Amino acid sequence: MGLLDILSVGSSGLRTRRVRAALSVLGITIGVAALVGILGLSQSGSADLMKDLDALGTNLLTVQAGDGFRSQQASLSSDAAAMINRITPVYEVSATTKIAGGVFLNDLIQDGRTKGITIVAADLNLLRTQRGSLKSGKFLDEMTSEYPFVVLGSVAAERLGIRNTSGNHKIWLKEKWFMVIGILEPLPLAADLDRSAIIGYPAAEKFLEIDEPPEIIYVRAYPEHIRDVRSIMAATVSPENPEEVQVGRASDVLEARIAASDAFLNLFIGLGAVALLVGTIGIANVMVIAVIERRNEIGLRRALGATKFHIASQFLTESLLLSTLGGITGVIMGMLVTAGYAVFREWSIVIPVYAISGGILCSILIGGIAGFYPAMRAANVSPTEALRTR
Amino acid sequence: MVNIENRSSEYALELQEINKVYEGPPIVKALSDVSLTVNHGELLGIIGSSGSGKTTLLHIMGTLSTPSSGSISIDGTNVVGMSDKQLSGVRSRKIGFVFQEFFLLPGFSALENVANGLLYSGIPSEERMERAFEMLRTVGLGERGDHLPNELSGGEQQRVAVARALVHKPSFVLADEPTGNLDSENTASLMALLTTLNEGGTTVILITHDLEVAKSAQRRITLRDGRVDSDLSR
Repeated sequence: MGLLDILSVGSSGLRTRRVRAALSVLGITIGVAALVGILGLSQSGSADLMKDLDALGTNLLTVQAGDGFRSQQASLSSDAAAMINRITPVYEVSATTKIAGGVFLNDLIQDGRTKGITIVAADLNLLRTQRGSLKSGKFLDEMTSEYPFVVLGSVAAERLGIRNTSGNHKIWLKEKWFMVIGILEPLPLAADLDRSAIIGYPAAEKFLEIDEPPEIIYVRAYPEHIRDVRSIMAATVSPENPEEVQVGRASDVLEARIAASDAFLNLFIGLGAVALLVGTIGIANVMVIAVIERRNEIGLRRALGATKFHIASQFLTESLLLSTLGGITGVIMGMLVTAGYAVFREWSIVIPVYAISGGILCSILIGGIAGFYPAMRAANVSPTEALRTR
Repeated sequence: MVNIENRSSEYALELQEINKVYEGPPIVKALSDVSLTVNHGELLGIIGSSGSGKTTLLHIMGTLSTPSSGSISIDGTNVVGMSDKQLSGVRSRKIGFVFQEFFLLPGFSALENVANGLLYSGIPSEERMERAFEMLRTVGLGERGDHLPNELSGGEQQRVAVARALVHKPSFVLADEPTGNLDSENTASLMALLTTLNEGGTTVILITHDLEVAKSAQRRITLRDGRVDSDLSR
């Protein structure tokens, strides 16, 4: 018997019992679809996060005052930024200071509801340090930082209902009028700034009469030295009380999100594996029934000259065809789900090759496992027993 | 006169002192010292009532079951002691089976069912189909090759089964109650077909409990309680 004959004989049982074949394949289809879909979605999602990470860089440190030994909040010294700048691998330092006060659309709203927008005084290189971009207008510069001009974070602009800078909007900021000259795109590495109204340090001093030390300093250092820079940062900023300085890596938040999605990935892979196990049992079950139902066929084939090996290979082929069919439909379903969801989330579609080949290989393996016992059973039916009619 | 056809023996089938005991419990002696020979070109009827050992004898003649003792030669080759695989080879080349229930495979056309008779003989697919088509024509169903078994009448289905049993040109055909599921008209027609095939040189061993059917055979062996009771030639 050639390969074509084996396939033809092996598929005969499926052709005559199509509904049963389709139903018994479902378990494998769902299991493989779950695995391919989960792997595809997590890869697409991770790819999206990784793309963000690549663009934003993992070399941004945040330096801020932590809790001191004394009950009052510690603060950074006003020359902290200058001290950090002296660390050789550091190439960008940008300080920010929160200023207490409300931000309103106009001076008529005085109900104390601030919409959660904070006022932040910032250095001019803040946007570059964050690798952020502007949705509208421009960022503060040497000139605008001296005057009552403000740049809004993405969330702050949305809350105030300001979509662009073309209308020369003025906002009521700590009881002074400030003109909106720029609106930022979201800053994934510093979500706090999204809810801020950002002004220049000179303007804060001149118009709000505020001169406070920096609260959070954003530091870019060369990636290969980031670990070293981080280890000496606290001592550099506060040689007397280094324990009062908190140093963090902004990208850790994004990496934590990737790790979290990996944890979910394992959970769903577990669920997919359970579906595959159930599918395996389903196919084994259907094959055992097929052997019992088709005893006469086994007897006839033995009478026509089939060896035990021929009979075993027929039923094993049938099982393999069933499971592989389930695997292929599962892979297609998983890919469609991934593609659909990725398009919906505006991710790039990533379907790992190992998910596709793994899904198919898995299903072939399942067919072999599920079909082995029924095939052996079929091969060992005595021909005279098999020809007996009930 | 020596048979100059491509046959290695005078006898298509030769049984010598065949015993078959089913090791129960209970222990049943199904066949006792059965010896018989079947000549090439014979139409032999084996008659017996239920429990006489007909089916056991058929299974042993067809190498589907092995005797407890005794020897069987098919075309002069002793098959006792052969492995399961070797016996399968013997069946695929030397023996054709026709069963009472036809046993046509439901998903296959009449032509494919006939070609299945050659499936395990190592013949390429194309030639199997050609020979199957020839054989279907011989049994008078040349036009119905595309039909599925459930689209054929009982008589037609049994003709397809006869074609399947003959397509590999066996040394003999074992027909087990071939008319058992047919009405009288189809019975007559099938017996006419078997007689014609036999006249064309096919060796046919007909196992039946129906004396009317057995009348077509030139030679009749009666089994009783697992023994050959009589062996009569016309």
